[in-house]
Amino acid sequence: MSEAGVIHDIGYQRYEGPRLGRSAVFGAIYQHGLRASFGLGRSAKAKIFPWLVAGIVVLVAVINAAVLAYAKVKLFDYYTFDDTMSWLVIFFVAIVAPELVSRDMRSGVLPLYFSRPLRAFDYIGAKWAALVTAVFLLLGVPQFIMFLGAAFTTDDGAKGVGNEILRLLPGWGYSLLWAVVFASISLLIASVTGKRAFAAGGIVAFFLMTAPVVGVLSILPSSTAQHLAGLASPMSLLVGVQSWLRGKNDLGIDVGDFGVIYGIEAFCLVSAALLLLLARYRKVASL
Amino acid sequence: MSTVAYITVRGLLGRRRVLLLLPLPLLLIGLALICRAYDVSPDQWGQPVVVGLGLAVVLPVISLIVGTGVLGSEVDDGTIVHILTKPLPRRDIILAKLLVAAGVSAVTVAVPLFVAGLLADSVRFGLALVVGSVAGAIAYSALFLLLSLVTRRPVLLGLAYILVWEGLLGRFVSGTRVLSIEQYVISIADRIAPTGMLDGKVSLPVAIVMSLVFAIGGTLYAVNRLGSFSMAGETS
Amino acid sequence: MSVVELENVSRWYGNVVAVNDISMTLQPGVTGLLGPNGAGKTTVLHMMAGFLAPSKGAVTIDNSPTWRNPGIYRTLGLVAEREAVHGFLSAYEFVLACAKMQKLPDPAAATARALSLVEMTDAQDRRIETFSKGMRQRTRVAAALVHEPQVLLLDEPFNGMDPRQRMHMMELLHKLGDQGHTILFSSHILEEVEQLSGLVQVIVAGRLAASGDYRRIRRLMTNRPHVFAVQSSDDRRLAVALIGEKSVSGIEVEATGLTVRASDYGSFTRALPRIAIGEGIQLRKLLPSDESLESVFSYLLEA
Repeated sequence: MSEAGVIHDIGYQRYEGPRLGRSAVFGAIYQHGLRASFGLGRSAKAKIFPWLVAGIVVLVAVINAAVLAYAKVKLFDYYTFDDTMSWLVIFFVAIVAPELVSRDMRSGVLPLYFSRPLRAFDYIGAKWAALVTAVFLLLGVPQFIMFLGAAFTTDDGAKGVGNEILRLLPGWGYSLLWAVVFASISLLIASVTGKRAFAAGGIVAFFLMTAPVVGVLSILPSSTAQHLAGLASPMSLLVGVQSWLRGKNDLGIDVGDFGVIYGIEAFCLVSAALLLLLARYRKVASL
Repeated sequence: MSTVAYITVRGLLGRRRVLLLLPLPLLLIGLALICRAYDVSPDQWGQPVVVGLGLAVVLPVISLIVGTGVLGSEVDDGTIVHILTKPLPRRDIILAKLLVAAGVSAVTVAVPLFVAGLLADSVRFGLALVVGSVAGAIAYSALFLLLSLVTRRPVLLGLAYILVWEGLLGRFVSGTRVLSIEQYVISIADRIAPTGMLDGKVSLPVAIVMSLVFAIGGTLYAVNRLGSFSMAGETS
Repeated sequence: MSVVELENVSRWYGNVVAVNDISMTLQPGVTGLLGPNGAGKTTVLHMMAGFLAPSKGAVTIDNSPTWRNPGIYRTLGLVAEREAVHGFLSAYEFVLACAKMQKLPDPAAATARALSLVEMTDAQDRRIETFSKGMRQRTRVAAALVHEPQVLLLDEPFNGMDPRQRMHMMELLHKLGDQGHTILFSSHILEEVEQLSGLVQVIVAGRLAASGDYRRIRRLMTNRPHVFAVQSSDDRRLAVALIGEKSVSGIEVEATGLTVRASDYGSFTRALPRIAIGEGIQLRKLLPSDESLESVFSYLLEA
């Protein structure tokens, strides 16, 4: 033991080499979020619920494709598929959004994350992109299966396949819209609490309680109220946007001349949700 | 036993979290009032509000939040140790928590349902809904209390039951209705005050028996599980 | 006077054996449960407290099993490792609730007594979630003591306590031990165990490696030479004389004195004074330098 205090040089060095930029951070969180959505890289129990939902939607698509192939009867088209699977999508985001956001809050790692070159915008953006991708895959892959079923059994050859592609692409666009709206809302609700159970319950409660409101508004005597009834619930909002964009009025929600309002509200809803999320994560130390 | 109930009530209601229980009942009453104010015929709004919102959403979701909260949160953060290291029969502990859960759920749900039923039809209908929702609250609370002891993610399983089993499958597969508490509630309320709004798909004897099965069976199994509650080494 | 007994107790989870054939009897007084992290201390404590069933063997308190037996909690108090406590209650309300659940005839008096025992009377009306770690710990100890149990189990009780609180807690446990309570506390910090109790149960990798007074355990380890620090008026001459002795296996000569390794404690301690007198050397210091709990522990771990 030496008499005076000495600090010895045992070779610890500062890292002076090249560092990856913001896009790498974004990409890392995005990839991790997408994998976590489906339980990849985690224990078997984390895989049960997401894959259960995925299994059910794929099964429905397969049944649809099979019925189309053998009985030439189309059970649903791409748009109504999304609308019918709405409760499963709610369940999926109720499971996944808390996994993405609430877990980090509960375990107290946010100060750890944000003391690195990570901006709140990147963090939220990557998580949002991951959830949007996950929901899009959930809806888009079954739609693709339905497309394959239709394409392989079409009577028109290449032209039939081409027509089917032209029907699939807007269907995918609709799924993307679904993904964007549902991801934004559920992430916002999940970011309110660190307990996954509460977040899941809150998300489900929010989506479930808006549906009857639509029902009530649509039977009020005022025709304006009836046209605008769909605004009250995300599910009917999306149907409303669809009927506005496709110019049809027979999809269950009669939007009259107010179609534009549906589009505007969808946009505002998503923007508001994202802005609120950003605001929430500005002061990370208090989370 | 009353001390356990006291701690449970304090834990459930004494904090800001209790505000979470308010939006759903308020929404129910609000919608009913709006419809009444606009003189909409109850044939039209009764179904979506009373059944679609009240019995299908408000009752199960409130029962889920309360039922998993009374025991699940204590198991999750480990404070259940303090309740268990006492010479109390496990039956007393479960009964105290069940009473609190069912009581809070029943009050939170029955009051707005009574108001909605009154506005939709009559006092008798309102009371029928109250009886149905009390029965449903007891059955749901027993089920969710049991789930809190049997699994580590009781809320997710409860949500799967409500959304997938009762919501989705119950709509399309008639066999699953026999195991759906929502259907029992509808049948019981429909029997007491028959209106066109409630469409009971399960016969009344089956509804009553199965409600008792859920309530009593769930409680007994929960008592057994609490008696063998294990804490492994080095948790947290 | 209660006796806690473990008889050939094993506990396994699938292929992992957490506790491997442990038999021990806890007598009144303070016993330390010692072992490295992951050795199985918490598993043993939870089995004693009725929170885990043994896969094999029997855990009994006064001959009644601890598993599925809520009645034992009349004579058992547990202070678990997890800090969890009902934060929304004040300290007084919490201990009072525990007293009521214990069905005590006078809960308020018992609560007051328990809180004054842990020096929490000043802060008793504040909510527990506003407490520091040490205060929370003391509140939990008060809750465990409110019914004056015969057996008290504490899992790492000194975690997070500052030195003054630790001293106070040790005094409290000493007092209770002297009064005839059976107290078992687990720790992986050797100084705590040394200060608090001479009796230890050492658990290493699920097995009971040693039990009893740690000094006696040390003497039982005959395959490890004993190490003594010796200072005398003429170290080198003493060293030369000692090395000829059969019970001495090695000597190191340092500026501060001799370090003597002896293979036989008894013969060496008899031989040393004889040699010193024979050579006319004055002995100034003779200290067994490895009879600390730390060396006992490290020998047991290596074995």
